[in-house]
Amino acid sequence: MADIAVGTPLAAPLPRQRTLLVGTVFGTAATLMYFAALLAVYLRERADALSGGGEWIPSGANIQLAPPTVAAWTMLMSVVTMQWAVYSIARDDRTHAIMATALTTLFGLSVVVTTSFQYTEMGLVADESIAAVLIYAISGSHLVMIAIGLVFLLLMAFRALAGQYSSRQTDGFVAASIYWYAVVFVYVVIWTAIFVLK
Amino acid sequence: MTLTESRPEAEAVAAGDDVRPATQSSAPQWTPPTGLARLLSTGDHLTIGQMYVVFSLVLSGLALTLGMLIGIEQADIDGGFGVFSNANEVFQVFGLYRTTLILCGLVPLFLGLATALIPRQLDASSVAFPRAAAAAFYTWLVGAVTHIVATFSYGGLGSVQAGAAREQSVELSVLSLGLIGVGLLVGSGVVFTTLVTQRPRGMDLLQMPAFSWSMLVATGVWLFSLPVLLANLVISWVDMRGANALGFGGGGAPFEQVAWAFDAPQVFAWTIPLLGITAEVFTAAHRSSPKMFEPIAFIVGAFGFFSFGAWAQSFFDSPDPNAVDAHIVTNEVLFTAFALAIALMVAAYGGWLAFNAYSAGQRPQITPQFALVVVSGALLTAAVVAGVLRVAEPALGVLREADDDIWRGFFDAMDDLEASSLVNGMMNLAVLGGLLAAVAGLFHWAPRLLGRPLNAPLGFLSVLPLAGGAILVGATDVLGGFFDQPRRPFETAGIGQIDALGFVEALNVIGLIGYIAVLGGLALVALNVARSLTLPASTEAHQGEGV
Repeated sequence: MADIAVGTPLAAPLPRQRTLLVGTVFGTAATLMYFAALLAVYLRERADALSGGGEWIPSGANIQLAPPTVAAWTMLMSVVTMQWAVYSIARDDRTHAIMATALTTLFGLSVVVTTSFQYTEMGLVADESIAAVLIYAISGSHLVMIAIGLVFLLLMAFRALAGQYSSRQTDGFVAASIYWYAVVFVYVVIWTAIFVLK
Repeated sequence: MTLTESRPEAEAVAAGDDVRPATQSSAPQWTPPTGLARLLSTGDHLTIGQMYVVFSLVLSGLALTLGMLIGIEQADIDGGFGVFSNANEVFQVFGLYRTTLILCGLVPLFLGLATALIPRQLDASSVAFPRAAAAAFYTWLVGAVTHIVATFSYGGLGSVQAGAAREQSVELSVLSLGLIGVGLLVGSGVVFTTLVTQRPRGMDLLQMPAFSWSMLVATGVWLFSLPVLLANLVISWVDMRGANALGFGGGGAPFEQVAWAFDAPQVFAWTIPLLGITAEVFTAAHRSSPKMFEPIAFIVGAFGFFSFGAWAQSFFDSPDPNAVDAHIVTNEVLFTAFALAIALMVAAYGGWLAFNAYSAGQRPQITPQFALVVVSGALLTAAVVAGVLRVAEPALGVLREADDDIWRGFFDAMDDLEASSLVNGMMNLAVLGGLLAAVAGLFHWAPRLLGRPLNAPLGFLSVLPLAGGAILVGATDVLGGFFDQPRRPFETAGIGQIDALGFVEALNVIGLIGYIAVLGGLALVALNVARSLTLPASTEAHQGEGV
């Protein structure tokens, strides 16, 4: 009340062109299209192999469902922490925002570790079957997608530490979350199409 | 009291004031970089756009030279190999011609014009992500140069003869094409984001200039096309990682994977900005602004929708012809519907132009850019007609069943056009039409782009070889298709099927002259640009120039 009485000017709203948001949506849409193409080729080849009475995954390969299921649940948990980060920054709770971002990063890293572990256990050789080529192309591309997401998250966290993001400017966190949700969505599709259906 | 003179320094010192002038500082003054350092570190949208235009024109010239070499080879079809030593070299140059002409020439030329001009059209200070725009340009440039070098090092997109290509060079060709795709995708993202977010308050999407609108549609379609191209390349590359490539990286498969990008309907997607440039130049020549913008916005949008062609790749088809969905992608009905829809949109676009010409109520001002857009529009129309002919066989089959005797010769000519050189002609007509439109844009916006107008008489001199050459290149391939000239010059097995071999060879000689003419026209354009750059910069836009 006192502030108003002495005429302290209210801060002008920041220009909200949402440039980063629109750019991120563009990039995310392109990424989804990329995986749609990969999965279309995968499912087409799989259907052909199975309709001809042959096997799709080579008999010598050992593709367990447990590691990718653990990874899928980890990714789904990261959705909660990601949204927690967005919620916190929108309420000027920078500490929680950074903590949630760190947790999301940790979940992402654990999926990278799980996938790497599975690579060592699968026994798939790239030049022995088309299935192996496509599984490595798709899961490897997803690892790259996670890496880009982690860099994006860390960049936003450092910017938040520097005070760039607050309740008045949340675009960076919202943009990172949009990309991260796409990372999770793609993994769930991969989990279903490759590991559950086999 | 007004202070009209600065206080003498000695007096100020005596008063105990700090007399250090604001401009003097112990820190070194920052001086903007010049020369090559300026180009390498620039974030200026105009400079980035200019670099796109210069390098894509140079690479277009290289692509046309490759086309000319193929033309020399085809001038004597049944005489064995002349310029090239074997079928694989023809295959490599055949693929490089397409990747260079479209992904290193046409698309970056449009992106360059957009990067330089769209902030001006939107009254924005710059593009949305200037550093990303610079990164996109250099990614594309490094990818383009690497792709060309790798292909000339016995690489290319696979091999049609065992052992005729170096495996590592093929891998490098595939990776560098991926780099080109990433660069173009990021550049498209910058332009798209600029158009969505940098408009001034009160300007909605339908109030943008026609070129800006066409770039919004184009980058939207490229957003969905280029990632599919990247996915194809990644699958090929991963397949090559093993000791033996299985299906995607062996033989000529890498080219087959990306061939959809150079065929209908996708080939029309690369030319979408042609519609925007033509609309602006055409109406400016009639000294008016576009009337009834909503219909043209819809037409350009629908043209973009129907020209999306990433689905049309044979790898989505089943190799088993008995499968229920064996030809889900190369389904004739789907191809025919898309071809007809594109033709309908081009016809509607022509109608819109005619309406605007009629509404203006005066004769157009004949400028080089006006002549170029008229020819480019005609080339696009011819390409679309060729696209309809390409898919007309199933529809004609119905007529043939009704009465085969009356139109026997016609039906025979229409047989198997999709495997003939008509498809090459369709691509050449569409892409060269786009190239001519981009050159028209260069003339139209030269004062904005280069700071000086281009010379009109020299411009008219370049229109003749550009237009005439493009027509010859495209039309001869289309005509050759009716005489069963094979689509792929490296497949020598099809030579025996050619009707009237001598006539087809004569057509190919005429097509070769067309390539030389287009190259000459491009050289004249380059001369015109170089000449204008030697003149003092003009601050005034010339008459009829759009913003």
